[in-house]
Amino acid sequence: MSVLVGRKIRKVYGKKSTAQEVLKGIDIEVQKGEFVGIMGPSGSGKTTLLNVLCSIDYPTEGIIEINGQNLRGMKEKALANFRREQLGFIFQDYNLLDTLTVKENILLPLSISKQPKAVVESRLKELVGILGISHILNKYPNEISGGQKQRTSAARALIANPTLVFADEPTGALDSKSANALLTNLETINQEKSATIMMVTHDPVAASFCSRVLFLKDGAIYTELYKGDKTRQQLFQQILNTQSILGGDGYDA
Amino acid sequence: MTLSRLVLRSMRKNIKQYYLYFFALIFSVTLCFSYTTLQYNPTVVLALEESGTASAGFKAATYVLYFIVTFFVLYASHLFMKRRSKEIGIYQLIGMTKGLVFRLIALENIILFLLAVIVGMVVGYFSSRFFAMVLLEILEVDMIVQLKFSVEAFKQSAIIFSILLVIILLQMAWVIRSLSLLSLFTASKKADEQIRGFSIFQMVMGFIGLFLIIFGYYQSTQLFNVEKSSFFDNLYLHMLVILGATIIGTYLFFRYTVALIMNMIRAGKRGHLRITDVLAVTPIMHKMKSNSKSLTLITTLTGLAVGIMSLAYIAYYSSNSNARFVSPYDYILLNDQGIEFLDALYQEGIKFEKDTYQISSVKLNIKDLVSENLQDSPLYSLETDTVVVSLSDFRQIKPNYTLKKGEALLTSYANVLSEVLPLQKNKDIIVKSGKLEFPLHITEIRKDYVISNYVSNGSPILVVSDKLFKEIEEQNKEQQAITSQIGINLVEREDVEKAEMLYKKFSEHRKVFLDKEHSLIHKSFEEQRKNNIASLGLTIFVTAFLGLAFLLTTGSILYFKQIAEADDEKESYVILRKIGFSTTHIMKGIYAKQAFNFGVPLIIGLFHSYFAVKSGWWLFGTELVAPLIITICLYVVMYTVFAVLSIQYYKKVVRESL
Repeated sequence: MSVLVGRKIRKVYGKKSTAQEVLKGIDIEVQKGEFVGIMGPSGSGKTTLLNVLCSIDYPTEGIIEINGQNLRGMKEKALANFRREQLGFIFQDYNLLDTLTVKENILLPLSISKQPKAVVESRLKELVGILGISHILNKYPNEISGGQKQRTSAARALIANPTLVFADEPTGALDSKSANALLTNLETINQEKSATIMMVTHDPVAASFCSRVLFLKDGAIYTELYKGDKTRQQLFQQILNTQSILGGDGYDA
Repeated sequence: MTLSRLVLRSMRKNIKQYYLYFFALIFSVTLCFSYTTLQYNPTVVLALEESGTASAGFKAATYVLYFIVTFFVLYASHLFMKRRSKEIGIYQLIGMTKGLVFRLIALENIILFLLAVIVGMVVGYFSSRFFAMVLLEILEVDMIVQLKFSVEAFKQSAIIFSILLVIILLQMAWVIRSLSLLSLFTASKKADEQIRGFSIFQMVMGFIGLFLIIFGYYQSTQLFNVEKSSFFDNLYLHMLVILGATIIGTYLFFRYTVALIMNMIRAGKRGHLRITDVLAVTPIMHKMKSNSKSLTLITTLTGLAVGIMSLAYIAYYSSNSNARFVSPYDYILLNDQGIEFLDALYQEGIKFEKDTYQISSVKLNIKDLVSENLQDSPLYSLETDTVVVSLSDFRQIKPNYTLKKGEALLTSYANVLSEVLPLQKNKDIIVKSGKLEFPLHITEIRKDYVISNYVSNGSPILVVSDKLFKEIEEQNKEQQAITSQIGINLVEREDVEKAEMLYKKFSEHRKVFLDKEHSLIHKSFEEQRKNNIASLGLTIFVTAFLGLAFLLTTGSILYFKQIAEADDEKESYVILRKIGFSTTHIMKGIYAKQAFNFGVPLIIGLFHSYFAVKSGWWLFGTELVAPLIITICLYVVMYTVFAVLSIQYYKKVVRESL
């Protein structure tokens, strides 16, 4: 079943004279339970694609459907509700509110919906158990490490049981050990809870956790790799090979 | 690129950043210049001379105004510098020395300041006419206000603004000098206190804050209470204690109590916050450390301004009733002197009503009527001469009033005396008159004014049965200077001018002798009222002007603070919008936050002023409720305007956050 369908997505920034085409008609489809990675050199349009797909930004042209719902034509308020209820977000710079504790940050998406406390608590307990942050629930973001912050952010993304989780460079600000821990967590959640995750990254190691990796170049999909029965190491090698083919210059990995 | 070109270019680019600061400068200049121009306005000078008001207060208030303006401008420029810390950092990063950066900023500021002075002076010049008209309206003077440019006012303002400019530049130099490159980059993002649970200390301080405020309020109600000899014998000491307790209490309240309450609300949710908690409760709680000082200041200033304005307004508002106290009727004739005035009124066709009183006096001791714990006080053991009128005369203003045998009532007991020394009814007193001495049962203490204050000298009036009055009159026949009063009220208010002329015309006829040396010509109610207004009109104008200045500056500071806060919190709004909160949801939290930020200082400030006014308002006049409510409403409306402005700004920020 397709959770996300994107057809002929174009994104143009600027006015006519200075127009810059960032996305040049991208077709994309994500199945339920997939862990999709998007890779590409700087300026290839990874983040723009993610923003457009997750309704934070509007495509200039094209159709985006999430869970069968067409995003085009939805009002700001409806889109916001849609994001809150159907989508989860993990950002590179954590995006936690400094004034809230870890637990409050995780439960933030539920702060306008009325859900029974007991249900929320049990889900929270399960999530923080998997992510290994149950001991820091009452701490503030500035008291915990970057890895813990990102796992908090992941818990927040998953608390509302979203259809689809978007992760934008989630390991970008983490050391390799924290990054690996986080990715393992995401992999576990993807496999055990069959959460669908879409991750933008330029780190080949991070991408090797995915079940499928898309490569963008100059606003178009260049190629894609499936993990299939390969081990993570094999996928990693393939990713490296593809990267070297994609071109050495301008690559910032 | 030369320095001046860089300056102009950066000013053009940063126009948005400047406009708030620029507005603050213009506003200050306008206020100052308008006020000084007013002082030198020939019409105003003339009107003040004519009404005989002391204009010393005019000058004194100028200094208060300068103080307010200086404080305000310094605050605005401080905020302005903070917002530009990054820019200053970048200049230094590309290799400019601190001296050069200062020259750059100074040049910008001088240009900005000069522009503001020019605009402010033009606006101030024209608005001074408006203020002059308000002043003349208050003084009830009918004159056309001329607008004249005063060189003296210009000089005076120019000096003040130059000094202000130097102070601002010094402040900037100091800021640039003392900040390191690293801290310049983070100045606008400096982390506030992190609240980790609550210590006993904070809890205790929070409660002490509340206690101090309540203690101050309670003491203020005891300030003029003579019944209880409090341990503060010295009035000034007592006032200082009250002032200290409330101000320190206010600070502790903002510093600890607010955070305490907010944390209690939050802790009760056990992590399941609502959107208003996220956007109002927790940010307020975390910002309290840096905000508590300015909120205390604003609250205190609000309390002070509302208090002073209310008192001045009470005095002004009471000029009517104070005049009634002196002259209960529009016109009063004593001992039937000047009865020609009545004929003249007939001839002019002026309709009027008149009441006639026979007057006598007794000696009585008021001590018997005060509550028991006051009776020991030596102050109240005096026997006083008290004016007596008969019941049938009293019925002219209160028809059908009855007294039983041995009963009497006291009236005209109002004003200051009745506040300091409340009398109790249903008590017996001993009345002496010549050789007579008899007990009377007082059934009621009333406030109605009956007899001229020239006659009663501020004492209450005793009303007794007609029979008893005859007996008293018999005793006093010879020694009484004033034995009757005719009170005249006009039916139509429009006749007042004609009647005033006539009353004046017969002033020699109306003269009565109190003894061989002292004589008395009674003033009319209108004359008395005009006197009151003349002596208070300027005071209320000056206090109102200062109150307005206080109001606008405190309101602006709150508004500026909120603008800075909105910019600081933009990041949070971006996060919230991204994860699926709509503008409407976020605004809900922001409304709550604004209600707190503007509402709490306002409400506490109003409480402060209420208790301050309540403690001693009767020294200023006879009306409390109306003037107080009008002043408070005015303040609430103005604060609401500022709150709405800041909400608009937040709305803009939130909308742009995605």
